[in-house]
Amino acid sequence: MVFEFELPDVGEGVAEGEIVAWHVEVGDRVEEDQVLAEVETDKAVVDLPSPVDGVILELHAEEGEIVAVDSVVVTIDVDGEEGAAEEEPSEEAESPVEAEQTPATDEADPTSVPEGRVFAPPNVRRLARELGVDIGTVEGTGPSGRITEDDVRAADAGDESAVVEQREEDPADDTAETTTPSSIGTSQPAESAERDRTLAAPATRRVAKEEGIDLNAVPTEKTRNGEAFVEEADIHAYAEAQQAAQKADATGADKADETARITTEPYRGVRRTIGQRMEQSVYTAPHATHHDTAEVSALVDARTELKGRAEAADVSLTYMPFVMKAIVAGLKEYPVLNTELDEENEEILYKHYYDIGIAVATDAGLMVPVVENVDEKGLLELAAETNDLATRARERKLSPDELQGSTFTITNFGAIGGEYAKPVINYPETAILGLGAIEERPVAVDGEVVARPTLPLSLSIDHRVIDGAEAAQFCNTVIEYLENPMLLLLE
Amino acid sequence: MVVGDVTTGTDVLVIGGGPGGYVAAIRAGQLDLDVTVVEMDSYGGTCLNHGCIPSKALISATDIAHRAREAERMGIFADPAVDMQGMVTWKDRLVTRLTKGVESLCEGAGATVLTGRAEFADENTARVVQAGEGQGAESISFEHAVIATGSRPIEIPNFEFDGEYILSSRDALALDAVPEQLVVVGAGYIGMELATVFQKLGSDVTVLEQLDDALPTYEDDVTDVVVDRAEDLGISFEFATAATDWEETDDGLVVHTETEDGEEDSFEGTKCLVAVGRQPVTDTLNLEAVNIDVDDRGFIDTDGQGRTSLEHVFAVGDVAGEPMLAHTAFAEGEVAAESIAGEPAALDHQAIPAAVFTDPEIGTVGMTEAEAAGAGFDPVVGQMPMRASGRALSLNEREGFVRVVADKETEFILGAQAVAPEASELIAELALAVEMGATLEDVASTIHIHPTLSEAVHEAVKGARGESIHY
Ligand SMILES: Cc1cc2nc3c(=O)[nH]c(=O)nc-3n(C[C@H](O)[C@H](O)[C@H](O)COP(=O)(O)OP(=O)(O)OC[C@H]3O[C@@H](n4cnc5c(N)ncnc54)[C@H](O)[C@@H]3O)c2cc1C
Repeated sequence: MVFEFELPDVGEGVAEGEIVAWHVEVGDRVEEDQVLAEVETDKAVVDLPSPVDGVILELHAEEGEIVAVDSVVVTIDVDGEEGAAEEEPSEEAESPVEAEQTPATDEADPTSVPEGRVFAPPNVRRLARELGVDIGTVEGTGPSGRITEDDVRAADAGDESAVVEQREEDPADDTAETTTPSSIGTSQPAESAERDRTLAAPATRRVAKEEGIDLNAVPTEKTRNGEAFVEEADIHAYAEAQQAAQKADATGADKADETARITTEPYRGVRRTIGQRMEQSVYTAPHATHHDTAEVSALVDARTELKGRAEAADVSLTYMPFVMKAIVAGLKEYPVLNTELDEENEEILYKHYYDIGIAVATDAGLMVPVVENVDEKGLLELAAETNDLATRARERKLSPDELQGSTFTITNFGAIGGEYAKPVINYPETAILGLGAIEERPVAVDGEVVARPTLPLSLSIDHRVIDGAEAAQFCNTVIEYLENPMLLLLE
Repeated sequence: MVVGDVTTGTDVLVIGGGPGGYVAAIRAGQLDLDVTVVEMDSYGGTCLNHGCIPSKALISATDIAHRAREAERMGIFADPAVDMQGMVTWKDRLVTRLTKGVESLCEGAGATVLTGRAEFADENTARVVQAGEGQGAESISFEHAVIATGSRPIEIPNFEFDGEYILSSRDALALDAVPEQLVVVGAGYIGMELATVFQKLGSDVTVLEQLDDALPTYEDDVTDVVVDRAEDLGISFEFATAATDWEETDDGLVVHTETEDGEEDSFEGTKCLVAVGRQPVTDTLNLEAVNIDVDDRGFIDTDGQGRTSLEHVFAVGDVAGEPMLAHTAFAEGEVAAESIAGEPAALDHQAIPAAVFTDPEIGTVGMTEAEAAGAGFDPVVGQMPMRASGRALSLNEREGFVRVVADKETEFILGAQAVAPEASELIAELALAVEMGATLEDVASTIHIHPTLSEAVHEAVKGARGESIHY
């Protein structure tokens, strides 16, 4: 019997996953639960275990390809007759980009009729069936989000990068690629806008003149009173693009050189998710950042004293649990920092629990595992839990539910170095605290400058919900606890 | 095997030559499958012979007479004489023409067209039993089968169809004289359509309905327009009244009724039409010989392609369940044939439009406002009354409306309800909109011919965007 293994929903609400690596090849015998592949979703990397015993007949995706949930990823001959492999054409695996070709009909699941309404015309729905794409998971780019043929093809082929690859094979399509000024380095001149009339402030006009740039040529999407409107930044961007293009022309760089000068990396998976989150946070919540410094001699002493005891319990005690506790003290005093803004219902949601997200840098980018109920846990417990989460985050072995639900987030960029930063809020939370490096720095004590360990703090707030005064007051409380760790005994 | 049997083989055996069956046969033939279609009665099935086409023919014919009679406001004074026999002969001629057309379309597509009753012998063989004594039977072995055996009217206790007093819709469409008084049991779409026909032909029609309203699947403001008009025509309605029994009288019959509180009454009629719904026909098939699941009402269970619990056997049309409409059968027949041919077909239609050919007509597609809200949309509604339509007034019509339901944020059109002259035609545009995932703006930006009824669709859509011009 031939078993068509469809990509399961590997995380809550995950629509697609990237095949990071295959652990099996066609012809391999596999056992139930044996790991077939590693799949990266926008939330985590998970192992894909085989649901059956059998022999691999076909792998339907290449490494690096994005596969929609419910589409077939592996065909397994459950009886294990290896001869059966010949019957299964592996055309699809060889050319995953060729969307037009009709796959063997048993790959698609044409009988599946999506529940509820689908906003896609009949031909697009049929194409989805042909390609084995679950139309319910395809995001539409047409008017109002209507699903188009291209959307289905993109969902099938992985994503946009596949479309680009296809174009590169087909030189006739070259023109289609060079329509944006961002294609710097393809020795094309930066695209000019060529308008008849452009509005700009007098100062901007002066800059244009200095740069020797024709205002009517500067691309812009901004308008004033229905006329194109250009700002200084647009002129600089255009000037730079032109210079880059000229440089490229001057060096007579051929195509090979160009690819060496700029290489591309797909923008997807965790990277794309981080990007989308950052964009959403920064464009939704007006950020304000408050900076202050805690003088942490007492904290350093306290930790030094407790470290040995912690080691005896097999726990490495960092400063993080102290900071988490100090934050909870601050949040209890200023609950407005432990909130979320429900824009739709125009309500501020106050959370009376303290689940703290810890931003961790990993090879694949930023992850924010969550330590739950920080107020109810002791320092050692917090230390152990934080270390475990951080380690597994770096190994990308966190489950999706360990990465969601925080109420406040800490980012410890100081672990790498630096004093102050402007952290981006982990939206929809309303505040994030950035920790600088604990180092000896000059501090004024009784009229003299002395060296003392200090911890620089950078608190970003969503100014729609929290005001600067509250941010400062919260920081004061946190500093009070960090400077007098004895206070934690009262918590 | 019966002596004299011959066995032939076919890729696809289609059982039943109604809308579901003949479309499956034609499509399978077009896809180069070897197909045999078997019909035990008359090609075209219920739809062509005893349903859609004959009923619409009589509705249109009586409407011509009726409108001529009612055109005094337009300065026309006429009292056309109706020769019922003539009308029925005309209807029969056009039915014959269409059924012959169906047979030749099947043949043209390469199908083998047989007459006889097909019944299963086992999972890959059927016997075709010819009508008449002593005839041999042909055995057909098949790779795939499509069951399209349709439906028949439901009989209620004490009201067996006899064609004389107690009529089915089929009998009513074949009457050669107008009954003086007609009792109609059931105010569903068939009952309402035929009640209107006979009232317009001069019968005195009483409609008995067990529920509280006519056409219960439609919204109240839609049915109100139709019931009001029917009452104006002279039809009397008795709701919440069940027909329990009947007796012959000198002039015809008397139908006894009872309300829920036990109140009894009786209604006289020359004849009584019972139209209380339809049930699947599976007893002609020897279904016991194969392992095919049916639901508790006897309809054959099918999946998104029309496949039954037997992988290689499909069921389409009325026998596969609601909605029991000819165009649903068409669509299912096509999908079944394409699936057998290995194409990735599926019944993924976003909505099935439906019409009732009353006066005025009802046409609907997709969701009502309440259904849209129930499905999680934030519905916005636009409604255009026909009395604001220049074309309606010039047709001497003023009742009804066209309503469109859309999602407020995305403007995707989710459904529409029309109760209006030609509502069955008007709804086609909105059915396309629903199927395409079109938005209010798409339809609002489409120029509609003036003066037409379709402008009411345009105005309703514009109304939903707060941009009505003519209303
Ligand atoms: C009065 C009336 C008005 C209607 N008006 C409309 C309308 O306006 N619009 C609309 O969409 N629908 C209408 N309908 C419904 C429509 O007629 C049916 O939905 C449609 O005919 C269903 O098609 P079908 O192919 O499933 O079945 P049918 O049309 O019922 O065809 C089934 C055929 O199978 C044959 N058969 C059964 N068993 C066997 C067997 N064992 N071997 C061989 N042949 C067999 C039967 O003789 C029959 O011809 C109306 C119905 C009625 C009664």
